[in-house]
Amino acid sequence: MNDDVPEDAFSEKFDMGLWKKVFRIALRYKQLLWPLAMSAVAIAAVDASFALVTRWTVDDLEEVTSMWDLAPHIAVYLGLAMALSGGVLIFIRSAGGLANHMSHDIRRDCFERLQELEFSYFDHRPIGWMISRLTSDCDKLSRIIAWGTLDLVWAFCLVVMISVILVVLNPVLGLLVLAVVPPLVVISAIFQKKLLLSSRDTRKFNSMITASFSEALQGLRTSKALVREEENLGEFQGLSSQMYGSSMRNALQSAVYIPMVLTLGSVAAGVALWRGGADVMSEEMTLGTLVAFIFYAGQFFNPINQIAQVLVQMQGAQAAGERVLDLLATEPGICDSEAVIAKLAEWDREDRPANVAPDGGRREIESIEFRGVDFSYQSGEVVLKDFHLKVQSGETIALVGASGGGKSTIVNLAARFYEPTGGAILVNGEDLRERSLEWYQSNLGIVLQSPHLFSGSVRENIRYGRLEASDDEVREAARRVNADGFIAALEEGYDTDVGEGGNRLSTGQKQLVSFARTVLANPAIFVMDEATSSIDTETEQLIQRGLEEIFRGRISFVIAHRLSTIRTADRILVIEKGRIIESGRHEELLAGKGHYHALYTQQLKQEFSGPIRLK
Amino acid sequence: MRGFRGTYAWAIAALFVFTAINYVTPLVASATIDFALSGEPDDGRLTSGVIALMGGAEFVRERLWFPALLMVLLTLVAGVFAYLKGRFAAQASDGIARRLKDRLYDHLQRLPAKYHDRAETGDLIQRCTSDVETLRLALSSQVVEVSNSLLLLLTALPIMILLDGRMAAISFVLVVPIILFGYIYVGRVKHLFKEVAEAEGQVTRVVQENLTGLRVVRAFARQDFEISKFAAPNQLYRDRSLRLLRLMAWYWSVSDLVVLIQQGLVLFAGAYFIATGSLTVGTLFAFLMFLNMLLWPVRQMGRTLTELGKSEVALTRMGEILSEPKESDPEVVVTPSAVEGGISVKDLVFKYGEDETELKGISFTVEPGETLAIVGPSGSGKTTIMSLLLRLYDYESGSIKFDGHELTELNRQWVRSQFSVVMQEPFLYSKTIGENIRLSRDGAVDDDVTEAARLADIHETITTFGAGYSTQIGERGVTLSGGQRQRVALARALLQETPVLLLDDALSAVDAETEATILEALRSRHGRRTTLVIAHRLSTLAHADKVIVLEGGRIIQEGTHAELVEAEGLYRRLWKIQTALENELSTPAES
Repeated sequence: MNDDVPEDAFSEKFDMGLWKKVFRIALRYKQLLWPLAMSAVAIAAVDASFALVTRWTVDDLEEVTSMWDLAPHIAVYLGLAMALSGGVLIFIRSAGGLANHMSHDIRRDCFERLQELEFSYFDHRPIGWMISRLTSDCDKLSRIIAWGTLDLVWAFCLVVMISVILVVLNPVLGLLVLAVVPPLVVISAIFQKKLLLSSRDTRKFNSMITASFSEALQGLRTSKALVREEENLGEFQGLSSQMYGSSMRNALQSAVYIPMVLTLGSVAAGVALWRGGADVMSEEMTLGTLVAFIFYAGQFFNPINQIAQVLVQMQGAQAAGERVLDLLATEPGICDSEAVIAKLAEWDREDRPANVAPDGGRREIESIEFRGVDFSYQSGEVVLKDFHLKVQSGETIALVGASGGGKSTIVNLAARFYEPTGGAILVNGEDLRERSLEWYQSNLGIVLQSPHLFSGSVRENIRYGRLEASDDEVREAARRVNADGFIAALEEGYDTDVGEGGNRLSTGQKQLVSFARTVLANPAIFVMDEATSSIDTETEQLIQRGLEEIFRGRISFVIAHRLSTIRTADRILVIEKGRIIESGRHEELLAGKGHYHALYTQQLKQEFSGPIRLK
Repeated sequence: MRGFRGTYAWAIAALFVFTAINYVTPLVASATIDFALSGEPDDGRLTSGVIALMGGAEFVRERLWFPALLMVLLTLVAGVFAYLKGRFAAQASDGIARRLKDRLYDHLQRLPAKYHDRAETGDLIQRCTSDVETLRLALSSQVVEVSNSLLLLLTALPIMILLDGRMAAISFVLVVPIILFGYIYVGRVKHLFKEVAEAEGQVTRVVQENLTGLRVVRAFARQDFEISKFAAPNQLYRDRSLRLLRLMAWYWSVSDLVVLIQQGLVLFAGAYFIATGSLTVGTLFAFLMFLNMLLWPVRQMGRTLTELGKSEVALTRMGEILSEPKESDPEVVVTPSAVEGGISVKDLVFKYGEDETELKGISFTVEPGETLAIVGPSGSGKTTIMSLLLRLYDYESGSIKFDGHELTELNRQWVRSQFSVVMQEPFLYSKTIGENIRLSRDGAVDDDVTEAARLADIHETITTFGAGYSTQIGERGVTLSGGQRQRVALARALLQETPVLLLDDALSAVDAETEATILEALRSRHGRRTTLVIAHRLSTLAHADKVIVLEGGRIIQEGTHAELVEAEGLYRRLWKIQTALENELSTPAES
């Protein structure tokens, strides 16, 4: 995996294999690639020809008596000018087109891949990291493919053409002038790399500065409360002066580089004037050729600079390329088996019996069973070991126990967010892996402790549970979880925008909306993971009354701190270190005076220890 | 900008010398071609002066290496000035950028919470980073470029006229149309740039939402829906970029054509004049070289104008932040000498912006060392009271007195340093855990830090992390659970040892057992600090000296826990819900 490659790594080696793969993607756009390459060659040819026209004109001056004698020269010149202008039009359109289409398609493919990848892929990758894969990396890669190819072809052709012209015009002088090319190449390569590295440093500091701004804004109240303004500013100034330093370094490098290559260019022009002048005097060379030579001597700089720049940029973009290709090449660990895919493909051709799911299995979910399930994280930490549990439709299972005991893992496995590392999970007695993932997960409804809402209205957020639900159904779902009251009190009711991530609502309100969303989905498997922790006691009490009805006819899993939520469960499992250490109904467990009793008493002592004892 | 004018002046001066030398260099070649190589007679032209300076046509003809060397040396000297120009321009523009960022950062910190409630974080960050960068680029390249073009024009024009008036006139025939064309183009693409940036922002937003809501997407198997949701902005971004590109392609191709025609005009007019004997090859050569230098910046007009336009927008956006008034204090502030920690609130009224009034006349008193508990449904105004105490907002009417002093007459920062706060969703900095706790009291010794962590019952947890107190928090370090964050924040508040402690639902994510330990520890310190507690769990409130019950911005009940439990009302209702549980525990066999 290349995930450990830091954002700003610079690959010393030029990875041909990688660029072959990238170019293979570019080959999908043949209709753009051809005009691109052709126009680059054409432009180089035209660029190289202009000085020849000048030479031709200057040399013919002896015979010119009227403007008409210049007509052929003018015609050729105009022709070249039009060709160049047309070439520029074509190359910008095709290179830009290629860059945009490629980055659009790569971005789409990456996004689709992210939708398929299992949770463990996301566990160790920060969201910001993945966002830059889809935005800056995609753009960088496609830009370098399109514009880089263009520049390389153009620059290479131009250098070759000028060299050929110079040598043909005057072999000795030509070779003398060409002698500046190798040092030009070396200097360009060295400086372009230095420039790339220092601009990377600058960007690194820039992203640290961005993070610092973001932290300042998020922690604004805390900083104010702690009166940390001065200290924060001091830390920030440390960063901003580091960025100043590296940005200055970058500027100074290019301030040295450009004069150096310009001087080299003037050396070439000087040589042309010195040796060529002598040839003119001895009439071995025409004046026009000398003028052409001096022009050409100055023309080398640009293309060689371009070649160096593109090659260095490609080296710099290698890390981006690797990360994007890696993402595209990562196969989802949890996906439909081939047998399931085959069955899904057949589905459309059959007439559909009501009780059969698209994968040919039973549509209704009657039971879920954990049979000897093991689970450990990639880090090797074992969470579940030989875990057994069977749940029938209509049952409500509460999971209690200390955090880190494996409660969430059980739920995540039941949702098939993770795959067991050993044993199997059966649905209706069949291995879950033999059923369609989409069918299964669309039967799932989960309410989380930190509920996520999408930006948009309250209505849209609830409707996310069932996209085709009518407004009335949305309202009905809200009513069932007692969210109707607070929603109606919002400024625009159900049309109120909840803001980015739902931030305009309180945590409790977000929990209610996400609860309504799940109720609307009408799932066969209902999971509540600390779902009511931020809802105030009275509202929770109201929800509590509705819960039994909501849970009816489903398989429900409840994880909660509040014991009131748990009491009514059909079965309470006390989970510790990945094992069920107690199981039964509330009353039975209390009577058993075991772990549950201890936990429950503890909680109640908490809630009621006070100076007053009621009775 | 101030303070950098001198540096800019140096940059432009260096550029001027650079430009001047660059004009002289072609003259050397031009003079050599005319007088040394073609043997033109000395007719008092500009270049004849140049050849005279080089020692005369005869001298040069004998030593052709001399003009060649002169050209190289001139370029070298010009290079030194180019370097100086680059250096000064970078010093000025990077210096301005750094100063702007520092100012923006400091200003943002000192803007009132009210401002930040309305502002969008992403937008502010963009203004402080990429907008500053846009400005820096414009300052470092475009400002100098524009001065460069003007200087070129100003110096080139007299030289060209001196060389040959007719040729000078011909050289500028198409310059005006190109500049006009540039203007029109910029006018047309300006909004497109903005649209492309917006579309890109949409792409990022959808990806971000999708990834943060990953569990929700999966839980409802909405992948296809999300993919189609992503397709729209992704296509929009591509299509807008393509539209911009098409305009750019036309612009570059047309302006290239015009530039080439301009060069052709000079070449062929010059050729004609040479043929008719009124111009020399050397002068034509010089004109062609000058034109090359002159037309390049003219060709860049489109880009220059766009960049300048963008930086103007950026400057306005930054100005909007900097012109917002900071939190202010009265001219004369009272600084109490001894602090006891008594709080007295009277008829307090407050509302956020135009919304419904949040607090509708609240009055209560907390004696120094007492504990006041605040209960009530969400949205009843509990957190608002805390925010007003911290002077995060200015109250509309009524009064808050701290040890008898009206809060508005005190220095804000002084007020804040009298309170230790644990907020509902505590914020931890991306530093180590130790640093996070310590930053409430600079210079706290390790023992104090561990003591505070023990009190907050987080010490044991911290020691289980590999690096202990040096464990980094955040994306590059450990992710703490909600309860752990609350406890770290509590440790931070406890270390501070201020007269007043504010706990805003501070233990909501901590499990029951842990909460017991913490409360026990706090209780042992009871009486030392004035404490205000907000909680949903009544367990946090039972020990309070006084409880107030809020609903809809009013105090609907107050008294001790004992009194409130007896009285009819919200508190008793909440109490009953839980009593039911207790009854059941005492008689488990019945059910």
